[in-house]
Amino acid sequence: MWQIVILVGMLICAVMAVRTQKLLISALWLAGASALVALWMYLLGAPEIAVIELSVGAGLVTVLFVFAINISGEGGAPAKELLPRSVSWGLIVLSIGLLAWMGFSGGLPLPASMDGTIFKSVFWQDRAADVLLQIVIIFAGALGILGLLAEGKSHTTKGED
Amino acid sequence: MSLSMTTLSIIGVLGLIGIGLYALLAAQHMIKVIIALQILAKGAILAFVAAGQANGHVSLGQSMALTIVVADTIVAVVGLSLAVQARRYIGSMNIRSLSNLKR
Amino acid sequence: MASTLLLLTIGIPWAGAVIIWLIGDEYQKLLHGIAVAFSVAAGVAALMLIPYATGTPIISVDTGPVFGVFTFAPDGLGVFLAAVATVIGSLAVIFSVDYMKGEDQIARYYAFVLFFIGSMAGLVMTTNLLLVFVFWEITALCSYALISFHNDDPKAVAGGMKALIITQFGGVGLLLGALLIHSYLGSYELNDLLARWNDIPAGVLSVAAFGFLAAAAAKSAQFPFQTWLPDAMEAPTPISALIHAATMVNAGVYLLARFYPAFCNVPGWKTAVVIVGVFSALLAAIMAVVATDLKRVLAYSTVSQLGYMVYAVGTGGIFASQFHLFSHSVFKALLFLGAGAVIHAAGTRDMREMGGLGKKMPVVRNVFILGSLALAGLPIMNGFWSKELVLESGLAGGPMWAYIAMLIGAGITAFYTFRCVYLVFYGEPRKELHVHDAGPFMKTALIPLAALSLVTWLAAGPFSLLLKNTLPYHELEAVSTMFVVEEVLKAPATWIAMVVIALGLIAWWQRDKLTGLGKSLKGLGDIAADSFGFEAINRGVVAGVQSTAESLRATQTGVLNWNVASILIGLIVVMVILVMGA
Repeated sequence: MWQIVILVGMLICAVMAVRTQKLLISALWLAGASALVALWMYLLGAPEIAVIELSVGAGLVTVLFVFAINISGEGGAPAKELLPRSVSWGLIVLSIGLLAWMGFSGGLPLPASMDGTIFKSVFWQDRAADVLLQIVIIFAGALGILGLLAEGKSHTTKGED
Repeated sequence: MSLSMTTLSIIGVLGLIGIGLYALLAAQHMIKVIIALQILAKGAILAFVAAGQANGHVSLGQSMALTIVVADTIVAVVGLSLAVQARRYIGSMNIRSLSNLKR
Repeated sequence: MASTLLLLTIGIPWAGAVIIWLIGDEYQKLLHGIAVAFSVAAGVAALMLIPYATGTPIISVDTGPVFGVFTFAPDGLGVFLAAVATVIGSLAVIFSVDYMKGEDQIARYYAFVLFFIGSMAGLVMTTNLLLVFVFWEITALCSYALISFHNDDPKAVAGGMKALIITQFGGVGLLLGALLIHSYLGSYELNDLLARWNDIPAGVLSVAAFGFLAAAAAKSAQFPFQTWLPDAMEAPTPISALIHAATMVNAGVYLLARFYPAFCNVPGWKTAVVIVGVFSALLAAIMAVVATDLKRVLAYSTVSQLGYMVYAVGTGGIFASQFHLFSHSVFKALLFLGAGAVIHAAGTRDMREMGGLGKKMPVVRNVFILGSLALAGLPIMNGFWSKELVLESGLAGGPMWAYIAMLIGAGITAFYTFRCVYLVFYGEPRKELHVHDAGPFMKTALIPLAALSLVTWLAAGPFSLLLKNTLPYHELEAVSTMFVVEEVLKAPATWIAMVVIALGLIAWWQRDKLTGLGKSLKGLGDIAADSFGFEAINRGVVAGVQSTAESLRATQTGVLNWNVASILIGLIVVMVILVMGA
């Protein structure tokens, strides 16, 4: 029963992250959702990724959000939504409904016996290409950090673009 | 109630993806867009781990999920820096004012 | 070695394009030098590749089941056209050094020229249908960019747009054909098609055959797509030479010749090819008679001469068509670059304002006359031998009415060619023009071309041997140059053609006495000046495409929410299809 509580809490955090108007609060709700997702993954028997998600998703990203919101301010009040709300809801219900139907109609796999492989060996040996790609992506991230920290030196010249 | 962990996980995945997509449809603010992307990515991570657990290949699911975590974090970083720069140079973080296409 | 040379032929111009693009416009002299160096190097690589010609692919990159194997083979057709593209292209680049001196944005110019040359070399040497399509579209893109090079001139932009849109119709035909062939043969490999065309159902094969014919007609500016080429005259003149002689319009004839063995048994295909060729040759020749713009006359003559090549393919004369293509490339490049020198000097393209320029620029006059003799098909020039071969193959393998029409076309060709030469270089100056002689780089490009147009026919023997040895499916016979000479000289067709050409010349000589006839044909002339109404149709097509694109622009709002909504709709559609399928 307590699993359901965690699940519902996760979804409520996500909804609140979307619904809240104040960006800072929104980022905190996101951190909560992230933490609960990490907990859920721990329960699924994936402690490594749970720790990473907790530290990166709930920790680092939240810090970045707070930092970015701090330097750019809250921004103006949101304008009226572009899409009619009914259309949005219709699309979401339709697509998620179809997904759910496809997910459940195939019959759930029986819980298989766990294979003995450990995360480290799978990650470093079987998914070596992924690791390489991740290194490349992390470089992009470093550039992104530079963009976050960059002072608007050329503000006066490029500001009119 | 005899809901297995797998069933609950699928519900969680669908919920997160649905919320994320709705946020993308409704979001007007760049940072809100990034939050929506984060929620979507969390759904994807959870999907991989849950699938790995259901198949018994939890390590494989984890290592795939790790790739998503990395990519997703970088998306957040780059997106946030774009938002900050947009704020700096355009003076707004509303996605409608970012479009330069002729309408 | 061969594969290295092949890669160099394609890669050198592309590398040059990238380097020039990176250097930028600040260093004009350097840019000219680099462009000349890279284009000449590509020409040398292509010429060195000729001895290695072979029909089997020498480069193949397996890209998995979806795209097939990317193969390149320097067979006779490919290596010959690659050599034409790079050598003529390099001469056009050398000519540009004088012609484009002091122009703005020279880097964009040279980058696209080199990209163009490399893509054409790739197009003719790949044997993968999908890559053929890719290179085909790259050449279309380059031609658009270069025709509209003066992008502040609305006429140039319109001409480029028209070329792009009209040739896209051909591209669609090519893609359709390639996909159909792939779906039945499971391979994009060109030689597979030539070997196993029998495995494709007749109806499907004929769709592919006519799709390819449409592609070739659009690319080579053949009937009914002929109107884009004259409008492309807004390009800088070296670009016109490039498009007409080296890199663009040859691709259509190449495509027809390349796939002839697979499609020649499709009912009606050969007749359709002959009809396209005859109509293009005749209509364009008549339009050339009434045109007053020097470059337009040459453009119509290109359409007309390409008509001869297409006609030759339709009558089974693959060697004749390719030989005429070879001659045409040389003398048409010569004529265009000569015309460029005249236009650069006179500052106008209107032949009515020229006249008497021969005394002021004797070198250009002399080489231009050599080119004109070749275009008219007078003896010893390369155009004579190849045109006679085309007519002979037409007499042997084509219907009689087509042959007679082509003979008449030859007469008209002689007529308009001499009209053009006379109006530009002889007679009294009709207007005070401050004319200067051509620059040294212009002459460097013109004189080799003039020499070549005198002698390339001597290569007929080796050329036919090259084609025979490397194109197993075309069932060609090797002939020696002497044999070609004897054949042409002995054939009555030659003498008939010579009489018709002479009639054309006499008609120009005695034009004053023919004024009565001219007046009675004035109506025809007016229609011809209007491109027989095809101009209006093509213009309508272009306008239709543009307005459709304009209204489709509403779907691209650039707002994220709408994009996500569309993605979701697409997802729903896919899932519904999956659910229905399951």
